[in-house]
Amino acid sequence: MFVPLVQNETLKILRRRRFTVVIGILFAILAVVTYAQYRQLRFHAQRNWRADIQERIGRYQNNLRRGRMNPTWSRSIHAEINRLQFYLDHDIEPDRPTTPLFVRNFANVAGFLLLPLLIAILGSDIVSAESAEGTDKLLLTRPVRRWKIVAAKLVTLWIFATLTLFCGAILSYVISAVALPRQGWTAPTFTGFQVMRGAFRIDAVRQLPLWKDTLIAYGLEWYALIVVASIALMLSVIFRSSAASIGTMLAALIGGTILTRISPDWSTGKYLFVSALPLADYYSGSPPPYEEMTMPFCLALLAAWAVGATMVAFAIFIRRDVFG
Amino acid sequence: MTNMTTLVATNLTKIIGRRTIVESVSFSLHPGEVFGFLGPNGAGKTTTIRMLVGLIRPTAGNVTICGFDVRRDFEDALRNVGCIVENPDLYRFMTGRENLEHFARMLGVEKAEIDRVAELVALAHRLDQRVGTYSLGMRQRLGIAQALLGTPRVLILDEPANGLDPAGIREIRELLRHLASERQMSVFVSSHLLAEIELMCDRVAIIHHGRILREGSVHELISSQREMEFRVGDVARAAEIVRQQGLAFRTEPDRLWISIDENDAPPVVAALTAAGVSVFHAQRRVDTLEEMFLQATGGETVD
Repeated sequence: MFVPLVQNETLKILRRRRFTVVIGILFAILAVVTYAQYRQLRFHAQRNWRADIQERIGRYQNNLRRGRMNPTWSRSIHAEINRLQFYLDHDIEPDRPTTPLFVRNFANVAGFLLLPLLIAILGSDIVSAESAEGTDKLLLTRPVRRWKIVAAKLVTLWIFATLTLFCGAILSYVISAVALPRQGWTAPTFTGFQVMRGAFRIDAVRQLPLWKDTLIAYGLEWYALIVVASIALMLSVIFRSSAASIGTMLAALIGGTILTRISPDWSTGKYLFVSALPLADYYSGSPPPYEEMTMPFCLALLAAWAVGATMVAFAIFIRRDVFG
Repeated sequence: MTNMTTLVATNLTKIIGRRTIVESVSFSLHPGEVFGFLGPNGAGKTTTIRMLVGLIRPTAGNVTICGFDVRRDFEDALRNVGCIVENPDLYRFMTGRENLEHFARMLGVEKAEIDRVAELVALAHRLDQRVGTYSLGMRQRLGIAQALLGTPRVLILDEPANGLDPAGIREIRELLRHLASERQMSVFVSSHLLAEIELMCDRVAIIHHGRILREGSVHELISSQREMEFRVGDVARAAEIVRQQGLAFRTEPDRLWISIDENDAPPVVAALTAAGVSVFHAQRRVDTLEEMFLQATGGETVD
């Protein structure tokens, strides 16, 4: 009895052409970024990368010396210096644009703002649009309990969050393969850079082939997007207009980031879901805004948000009076 | 009589904040009848319907459908109902067929039934076009088609005549009468149009300011109000003659309203004519329900 409900919700998302829009946006953005990477590749080819890296490290060190900087920034600059130095010491060129690296980085970059927003677009329609268009009156007067209907909507949104990430990965491969070198899945990557109280901990650094690193990054990203989908469902239940629910998600994503960046002393900020969202980023070594935010903390925090949001969504949806 | 009811509403009340929107509304539906729910806009018709089908939780009172309480046994109760609440809002971005398939999946109904209900509301030829391209009348019919999926025993339709042209209204009226008489369904129809209810329904409840003012068979309510209109030359002289005959009446500047059946009219006409009063016309009122409604609601306009 549950599968037909998921089938219905899937059909509605597809027929609304929302997923088409999502794929279109992904395509456009990936095409532009690929072009930029292609330019960078040509630039790289003419340069001595060791000298470039050396110069970058010098620039960062100058920045650090020059002055008072908020601790979040200074920690990320430290981490970046250490990362670059590590590659230099091991004589491996970092960040040379290749298709595998492009796919890998898509998880980091898009996972934080772009993909959550696309999921908010999909999610906003799944409940808000039904109330806005009045179709909820028919949906909720069929012999199906409301919890089943909202559960079907949640599962459908999870499916589409997964699909969005999957399509993003496939598209980033296909598009970047046109312009960038396609080899490099087995190139060594180093993850786990950590800075503890200003000191770089080399013992935490692990070497992985890029394909394995990519799978882990996508796994983490997928986890984050499932959480985002659950929060998107809650917003969609709360707001009766699609614009309001997308807007709130956008405000939460941007506002949360700004908040943690400009007031790193406000330690309550670590409990915002936005703080824990760039899981793949933290995994590769960019430090979270608060030092206490370890990977297990982030995973648990996101799980708590997902469970909380789902409970709120169910409670409201099941009890709500449906007026015109 | 209890096992002859399909839907029973008992003391339905909805209070929001301090406003009482619906107050102690009770009625029951029987198989094979068309029940009219008549009231002006804002009288509480739609709120009552929303409570009947579980969209709104009543503040007090309860609804049972085929013996199942709508709140406690939602699935069993709603399996016996097809409804349109307020407007026939279907998914505009899908075709008629996709809409019907959507609801058929929720009911676990076979796909063959989709063509059957589409045939019944004469929509088969447009079924594969997007609902966004439908006229209001066609959406109304598609709404009725989805309500008929799963052959429910109770059909609840909110203002089904909305958006239909006169021919369409007649088709729907005949369809509803057919469903009631041939399939023994209970059909609940709300409307603010008296003529509609009078033509379509067996029984009527009149709701105003959230309360049921009167309930009864259409025939009863009309005959309790039977009056005939006589347009005459000399009203004062005519009134004198009618009074002599012992009939109740009231006057207007150029006419008389006499409380009699049509069958008793010829002798009165004869008496008036014999007394030299010219009778220009005499007719039974056609808008009795309207008049009754106006009286009951204190003369407020219906629209």
